[in-house]
Amino acid sequence: MHNTLTRVQNVFGFFTSVAFAVAAAIAISVVLSSQTPSASLQLRNVQVVKGRPHYYSTKREEYAHITFSLDADLSTLFNWNTKQVFAYITASYPSDSPASIPESEAVVWDAVIPAKNAPEHHNTYIHPTKSTARPKTKKERLSLNKAYPPGKEPGILKLDKQKPKYQITDVSGKIAERNNATLTLHWNVQPWVGALVWDNRRTVGRWQGLKGGEAAFEFPPLKATEAKKEDLKTATGKEKNRGSPA
Amino acid sequence: MADAIIEKARELFEGQIDFEGQRTAERMMTIALCVVGATAFLVGYITSNVYWTLYVGLGGTAITFLIVVPPWPIYNENPVQWLPAKGKGSADYDIVVDGQRVTSQPTR
Repeated sequence: MHNTLTRVQNVFGFFTSVAFAVAAAIAISVVLSSQTPSASLQLRNVQVVKGRPHYYSTKREEYAHITFSLDADLSTLFNWNTKQVFAYITASYPSDSPASIPESEAVVWDAVIPAKNAPEHHNTYIHPTKSTARPKTKKERLSLNKAYPPGKEPGILKLDKQKPKYQITDVSGKIAERNNATLTLHWNVQPWVGALVWDNRRTVGRWQGLKGGEAAFEFPPLKATEAKKEDLKTATGKEKNRGSPA
Repeated sequence: MADAIIEKARELFEGQIDFEGQRTAERMMTIALCVVGATAFLVGYITSNVYWTLYVGLGGTAITFLIVVPPWPIYNENPVQWLPAKGKGSADYDIVVDGQRVTSQPTR
């Protein structure tokens, strides 16, 4: 400390230690906040078609188009340390030989839901709204471009007959007539500082586990007649990076 | 003449402070940064906004730099008492080496 330079070095060094300690405190303080997520997920329709599911597919294979309805309240997952919540719905089903081959899990839909004070990002989810009328005021226009329904908070999802973002295939190329499939809602809370946490179904301390958010279904047989092209479209949201095929 | 200017620049960049001042500066740094860290966390927690933690933390650190780094006069209130300069001829003070008094003159 005998020198201006050494004083600068010492102050900066201690500042980094203090910053690290404050970040650790912020990360741990998340445990004290209570979470009460709730969700209800229903399958609306599932179609299995043979064709080329992706623009890069080189051969025809069976793929499934799963439409669903979701009514979820993930707003309590947003505490002061939440930057964004990544919500996603997967379809999982057991393999042909469950003893040796684990089950398959494919993502059907996902959404990046930022917290209110997170900076603007072109890939954040834009919640679909029922009314197609043009917005009249600036307030209306802004409320339609959010990751949550107008008038609600981040984490509220009200989707009815939602088209999937991704069409799913099986590694073997055959996905028709598979049984014991489940549609499940998951989430990943991405903090400003600290550990990533995924969805929990068990209650841990003040964090309630999620009940519901699951729907069992079976993959139907291959569609005999030609499925209509419009029925097989995926959700091309207004967010810039769309799921394929865009 | 150029030497005087360079000497002034050197003193400015060195920012020397005495030992008591260094002790005070280090204590100020520790207290100030701990207070800044605790305050930043509390402000963010109470307002439920991480950005406030960041602003208070960075602002408080800037203030700590201003308090601790420049050689303020309060850090120079206990200057080291150097012994008086050596005089020519017989020594002004006693230097005793191995039980024998020696002078500043080299022995022949």
